[in-house]
Amino acid sequence: MPLPEITPSLVAFIFIAGALTGALGGLLGIGGGVFLVPFLTLVLKIPIIYAIPISLTTVIATSTAVSSQTAGRQLINLRLGMILETATAAGGLVGAIVSMFLSDAALYIAFGFVTAGSALGMISRLDKRNVILDATVLPGRFGGRFHEDESGGEVVYRVKRLPLAMIASFVAGNVSTTLGMGGGIIKVPVLNAWCGVPLRAAAATSAFMIGVTASVGAILKFGEGLLVPMLAAPAVLGVRLGSAVGMRTAAQASARWLKTLMAVVLFVVSALMFAEGALMLTRAS
Amino acid sequence: MNRDSRFERRLGQILTVGSVGSTLLLAAGLAIVLVTRSSAGPGDVTLRAGLIVLMATPMMRVLASTVEYVTRRDWFFVLVTLIVLLELAASVIGALRG
Repeated sequence: MPLPEITPSLVAFIFIAGALTGALGGLLGIGGGVFLVPFLTLVLKIPIIYAIPISLTTVIATSTAVSSQTAGRQLINLRLGMILETATAAGGLVGAIVSMFLSDAALYIAFGFVTAGSALGMISRLDKRNVILDATVLPGRFGGRFHEDESGGEVVYRVKRLPLAMIASFVAGNVSTTLGMGGGIIKVPVLNAWCGVPLRAAAATSAFMIGVTASVGAILKFGEGLLVPMLAAPAVLGVRLGSAVGMRTAAQASARWLKTLMAVVLFVVSALMFAEGALMLTRAS
Repeated sequence: MNRDSRFERRLGQILTVGSVGSTLLLAAGLAIVLVTRSSAGPGDVTLRAGLIVLMATPMMRVLASTVEYVTRRDWFFVLVTLIVLLELAASVIGALRG
């Protein structure tokens, strides 16, 4: 599969792509390549097998940067994160291997499914409030406690249904390295809705874990020669810039409006990726 | 717990070093390639170094965690983090052979 010629303008466009998708991601609280892979493939015409590794490096970059800032506030549940990482890294290995056997069309269609599913999940949780537990709850082995600025109090929580979280992490790891996303889009809802983890802790822990999954995928693809440094570098730099801007703006926007916007964008992306996959299938036959 | 937040902050420092280091290397490498107009040579080497630092950072963070849990004699989490390290090592071995 031919690489497009690497011109300075392509580099510039990738940087812009990174900045735009990073800003969108930062604004909406979705990290990862959910927006970058479609942009690289559909707009910049970079073959999906090169786009996915590029996206994985931006996921590592975002995870590392975000976690370096959240660390110390005890939002990240280190114990939970570490144990879930065993599952998510395994999923990452499996996903990277599986993706070698998938056709481009299959990757596009799979991407379409995952984004559509995420959009639906988002809509179903539009009005879900973050439940604060009784402060006398014992966190147990994997639970946590942190100080919440909004209520000024301490939040204590227990982690329920750990096996479910492990399975979700494994699946998220697969999805991550196969499609070039972070996987937080699966992990955060599961941790928050079914495992009793408050939303901000779930998001912080997920962002923390994602770096490991994405690096498993990126390392393997780097070895396969699918990770092109000249293309990855502007993407990473762009995403770093864009997400910094996006996250700053996010603080001022309302949650419900954001979630609706997120669902809409995801549906659009999903439809476009489905269309591309379908087109590829018809062209092949 | 004080010890936990010190640990967390240490991990944060590792992540910051990796984050800043890789960003600088990638930016420098990109600049070198664009200026020298050649995609091989020092620019490419710098870019690759930047990517390697980026990809190695999560691994370094896990390793630091293992060390911390050893000092705490928390063998369960020593095992957990070693498993993750093994999985990361598997990816590196896979990359080197591929």
